[in-house]
Amino acid sequence: MQPATQAWWFAAVRLLGTVLLGSTVGWLFGNTWGGLACALVLHLAWVLANLFRLEWWLRHRSYADPPDVGGVWGEIIAQIVRLHRRKRFHKQRFVQLMRQLQRSTAALPDGVVILNAQREIVWFNRMAGRLLNLRRVGDLGMRVEHLLRAPEFVRYLAGHDFSNPVTVRTTSGEDGFLSLQVAPYGEGQLLLLVRDVTRQMRLEAVRRDFVANASHELRSPLTVISGYLETLAQEGGLDPELKGPVAEMRRQAERMTTIIRDLLELSRLEETEEIEGGVPVDVAALAALLRKDVLARPVHPHEVRLRIESPLQLVGDEPEIHSAFSNLVDNAAKYTPAEGSIEIRWWADEEGGHFAVTDTGMGIPPEHIPRLTERFYRVDRGRSRATGGSGLGLAIVKHVLQRHGARLEVQSEIDAGSCFVCHFPPQRLVPAQRALTSATG
Amino acid sequence: METADLSHHISRRFNEDLERVRSKVLGMGGFVEQQLRKAITALVEGDSSLGESVALDDHQVNNMEVAIDEDCSKILATRAPAAGDLRVIVAIIKTITDLERIGDEGEKIGYIASRLATMERPADKYREIKHLGRVVSDMVHDALDAFARMDVDSALRVARQDRLVDEEYEAIQRQSITFMMEDPRTIRRALDVMWVVRALERIGDHAKNISEYVIYMVHGKDIRHTSLDDVERELRDGRPGLPGATA
Repeated sequence: MQPATQAWWFAAVRLLGTVLLGSTVGWLFGNTWGGLACALVLHLAWVLANLFRLEWWLRHRSYADPPDVGGVWGEIIAQIVRLHRRKRFHKQRFVQLMRQLQRSTAALPDGVVILNAQREIVWFNRMAGRLLNLRRVGDLGMRVEHLLRAPEFVRYLAGHDFSNPVTVRTTSGEDGFLSLQVAPYGEGQLLLLVRDVTRQMRLEAVRRDFVANASHELRSPLTVISGYLETLAQEGGLDPELKGPVAEMRRQAERMTTIIRDLLELSRLEETEEIEGGVPVDVAALAALLRKDVLARPVHPHEVRLRIESPLQLVGDEPEIHSAFSNLVDNAAKYTPAEGSIEIRWWADEEGGHFAVTDTGMGIPPEHIPRLTERFYRVDRGRSRATGGSGLGLAIVKHVLQRHGARLEVQSEIDAGSCFVCHFPPQRLVPAQRALTSATG
Repeated sequence: METADLSHHISRRFNEDLERVRSKVLGMGGFVEQQLRKAITALVEGDSSLGESVALDDHQVNNMEVAIDEDCSKILATRAPAAGDLRVIVAIIKTITDLERIGDEGEKIGYIASRLATMERPADKYREIKHLGRVVSDMVHDALDAFARMDVDSALRVARQDRLVDEEYEAIQRQSITFMMEDPRTIRRALDVMWVVRALERIGDHAKNISEYVIYMVHGKDIRHTSLDDVERELRDGRPGLPGATA
């Protein structure tokens, strides 16, 4: 038999005993009912007293020992004590787990800040405190953009695109760079990751400077070589056997000039961040010009179609946009056979403006598409050397688009053709014939 | 019950309005800080296009000031704030004026930087200006931090730093005079440099003003034209148990 059941039996027997004893004593004194009533009142008083002790203990259980009572009451108290102990054990384990988690996050080499839906700082680890100059006590509950005021970050936080980190200069002390990325989680909460990227940025700057300087230094000797080669080729007395090699040397020197020109252009594009504003560029006129260029090539696709479906103009840096678009059209012309066709299309919708160049060339295998915009990336070695490209055209396109807040989309099917689309954000578009100095604002 | 709810509702809306304006002020502050830092970089590194872009972007600061001014007038008209809230609004109106002036000085530096970039650079590569620029932009940064945190201690520290800027200003001035006397051909450039240093010194004054508004906002004390030591003593003794860094 279970001790609890036993206790209940015992309680029942005790009640019965009390009733019997009361009525017997009453009968002896000639008042059975009076004796019974007295016994029941005494029993009730005992129950109430036990209840009082139990309640008092529950109220003061943090320091008081449980009352020492037997029977059913003792069982109830034992149950409560057990429940309480289990709860405390779980709580302790939970607190321990929390502490471990916090300690591990605190030890992260990157800064972590937790923000609530109002962008208020809820918690941050040691590194975040150091990188962002946050104070452990006073800064909890502060809006993060009140302390991190760099305009780039404020704009980033106000937007909804958190797919890429934003790089800002450190706000005080030494010149440095911080990479900030927001990761939304839960209900509107945000995790802000902070990394010190000063070293990477410095290395990047050194690399950029090196490429720019090297290209610049290579240009002058190359000019001399090209000059002499040209004179040689034009001179009548050249040995016929040398004619072929000299012509080839001239072609290669020209290619090198193109590569250096593109390298310099690229390093110039990399030097500055996104451009704000600019001048309105008439895409229709630009496309017509590019079409003429293609038709002027000695070998060109027999059909170059223009489909201008929007009168809107594109705000940006005109030479850069020209360079990007002409690179796309040039590529299409290079890789499309004479019997193929090219289509240049410009249209606008609520997502923004779109400039597309579609060709019916040989197409690009899908595994190469993500890497097309890398410098000097070749789909296959044979095909591009013959066309004399620098291998930097699409890298230039990518950078120009980045600087205009736009992105490049490439679709291609082998032997059917490729389609390169530039997607520009709506704030880059303006109606024709409206002078505008600043588009973003 | 209903009236309590209503008043609670109104005060929450009011708090949101106030918080939004404060965000705008600090956003404007962040932009001004960036302008200032860009202008100094343009000068020190001889980057004329950066200097030009600083000068061209100054109109954005002016637009922000106008917008915040309007918001403040609207709050004053519709909510009629009292006591602490009123002080916050008054402090904001004053702060944005100073921020706008800092923007103007930054524009001036940017403009001069784009002009100086075409001239021969001095041997010291504007080292003094770089240093002074760092001190001054840190002051602006700390003043805005104090504004965001309502932190009286930092505000006092910024206000104290202004003296250092004034001393530096004097030193560069003396040095420039020496240069001009040694070689009169540098006078033109030295005068431009003096303009920049003067602008930086003014920016330091504006940063000091902003930190004074912070003290006004928190304690309701106007500490302009009083010595800083007196202010500190009064703030400490006048109110025992004054909240310090976490005010």
